[in-house]
Amino acid sequence: MLVALQICLAPVTTSAQEEAGDDLLVLAAASLGDVLPRVAEAWHEQGGMPVRFSFSATSRLAPQAVQSSADVFFSADEEWMEWLQSRGAVDADDVRSFLGNRLVLITPASAAEPVSLSGLAGVAELALAGDNVPAGRYAREALMHAQAWEAVSTRVVRAGSVRGVLAWVARGEAAAGIVYETDALAEPAVRTVHVFPPGAHRPVRYPAAVLVNARHPEEARAFLDFVSGAQARDLFTARGFSTDDARGPAQAAERGTGPSVGSAIRISLLVAFLATVVGLLPALAIGWLLARHDFPGKILLSTVVLAPLVIPPVVTGFLLLSLLGTRGLLGGALTALGITVPFSVLGAAVAALTVGLPLYVIAVRGAFEAVDEQYEELSWTLGVPPRRTFLRVSLPLALPGIAAGSLLAFARALGEFGATIVLAGNVEGSTRTIALAVYTLLESPQGQSATWLLVGASVAISLAALFGYEALSRRQRRMLEDRRGR
Amino acid sequence: MAADTWGGIDMDVRVRMGERTLDASFQTSARALAFVGPSGAGKTTLVRVLAGVERRAKGTLSVGGRTWMDGSGSTMPPWERGVGWAPQEALLFPHLSVRENMAYGGAERSAVEQMAELFRITELLERRPRKLSGGERQRVTVARALLSRPQLVLLDEPFSALDRPLRAELSRTVRELLDRRGIPLVLVSHDEGDADILADERWHLVDGQLVRN
Repeated sequence: MLVALQICLAPVTTSAQEEAGDDLLVLAAASLGDVLPRVAEAWHEQGGMPVRFSFSATSRLAPQAVQSSADVFFSADEEWMEWLQSRGAVDADDVRSFLGNRLVLITPASAAEPVSLSGLAGVAELALAGDNVPAGRYAREALMHAQAWEAVSTRVVRAGSVRGVLAWVARGEAAAGIVYETDALAEPAVRTVHVFPPGAHRPVRYPAAVLVNARHPEEARAFLDFVSGAQARDLFTARGFSTDDARGPAQAAERGTGPSVGSAIRISLLVAFLATVVGLLPALAIGWLLARHDFPGKILLSTVVLAPLVIPPVVTGFLLLSLLGTRGLLGGALTALGITVPFSVLGAAVAALTVGLPLYVIAVRGAFEAVDEQYEELSWTLGVPPRRTFLRVSLPLALPGIAAGSLLAFARALGEFGATIVLAGNVEGSTRTIALAVYTLLESPQGQSATWLLVGASVAISLAALFGYEALSRRQRRMLEDRRGR
Repeated sequence: MAADTWGGIDMDVRVRMGERTLDASFQTSARALAFVGPSGAGKTTLVRVLAGVERRAKGTLSVGGRTWMDGSGSTMPPWERGVGWAPQEALLFPHLSVRENMAYGGAERSAVEQMAELFRITELLERRPRKLSGGERQRVTVARALLSRPQLVLLDEPFSALDRPLRAELSRTVRELLDRRGIPLVLVSHDEGDADILADERWHLVDGQLVRN
């Protein structure tokens, strides 16, 4: 099945990323989301390999880095990098640390009364990044150092990443928040009211390293050379990052490259289409078995197939990653075949298929069960054995219902999020589907209109698919009705 | 099958039908056999046993000298029995035209058209089943059963939706055709009139029990 998918995908990936496999995959902390694509652009202009990014909270990326064949990892703190070393995903010699940042307290720019550090106890809510996210850890250290933690800890609201904190404060949904200076600079809707001094928390460093499983280790090292070089340093300092010990002039940064609406819709449709087409045969086989046959293990089969319906998709994604990741149970075999599942369209399609299959099977089973068994029995007595009876009677009579099931699976695949982000990541132009793009936009300062466009497209496509499902189901019912005459 | 080689039917079968049991034990060499009884007596179940589609059936059955059920659970599958079954519900494949329904078992075009003429359904040949009346469906169903080169024809309330005169006429048509070709028949019906025309030997079926007339 995977091989077939890979074959289907070949032409598509080519168009999406110039040459299949010939690019660097970089996993990077969310706070680098504006600047790193610029640096990569400059590197590509000078003949470097094209670079794809997956930006998220470091805590979310690190486990993915262990399982994937990504090339480079940018952590937002030392601890997660050490964790990767302990897992053997990174060589200690390969770690470089040349980027730094500062922590700031922000309020909405529109806030009437500015909040100060000493007055924090009075704010309604203080937004911080999650407990395991570096920005969240630094913030807690800084507040404890300022002896303000006790007073505010009950008012803390946690966002998934530092970008989430920024978005909440920018929209005024949190009265204050703690983010990196570079984030505050990039967002005009927030005001910096306090810069935490060095010594208030461990220094914010961004260690970067080439991953042990990198597909292109040489190019990855060259990329890190470039990122730590003079030209890139200007790009970093222009956005408020410190490089080594030199702190550049802090200016408001230009807007970064956000998710593309067109690419998200295209990827969503492609992923859903692949999942639906590849899922058809298994859905037919399992649906038919469950509808027409009694056999030992029938309940077990049904349970296993339907399980993704009730298991949290994130868990399903994790199980798939453990199975198909480069270090997963089947990872070695897949790698030998030249197939990479994590962070690829293939991964997104596998995730969508796994999560969509239960609905597919339920619909196909229902379509077969709606066909009166007497039609098949009658066909047998007319000298047509079961296999040909299936093709001449069961399949044509169930066809509208099967088509309806395909549309349902398609719609479910479009909506898939949890398993996709774990297995396939959130890679612009390759695995960032509509759902992931909306999620990304919600945590980024720009793109309200892009969000609405995607939301509109998502709702429209899903409703169209459901409408088709209903129409086809009705058609099958009509075809099978009134067989006893009027 | 030529008239002199018909080996009759030897049946000793039980089928649990919910709370009751069909107990069908008989032996006959008659070529045209009718089982008459009220609805719910087990007539349709008896026909389904002969057609080979009744999975709950236990016992032995041999037809025309061949063993169809040997009592050990090994059963000749329906697609090897060569039965022409016209089920009670006049079941036609809804996705096929009348012509395609009649030719389903492999009958040739000319045979289909001849049979259509005999049953006065020539003008219905290109129609879809959903456009037919109940009586029209029954005629197509019986015609299809006769077209499948059967070793045994099974008719389950074949013409119940037709009015008396047409019903009698078609019954006579079927009888003549079966006699001419030497094909044995099992009819089940709640109507003695059908049995009068179609059958030589009559059994009554009441509450799952057989009574020889």
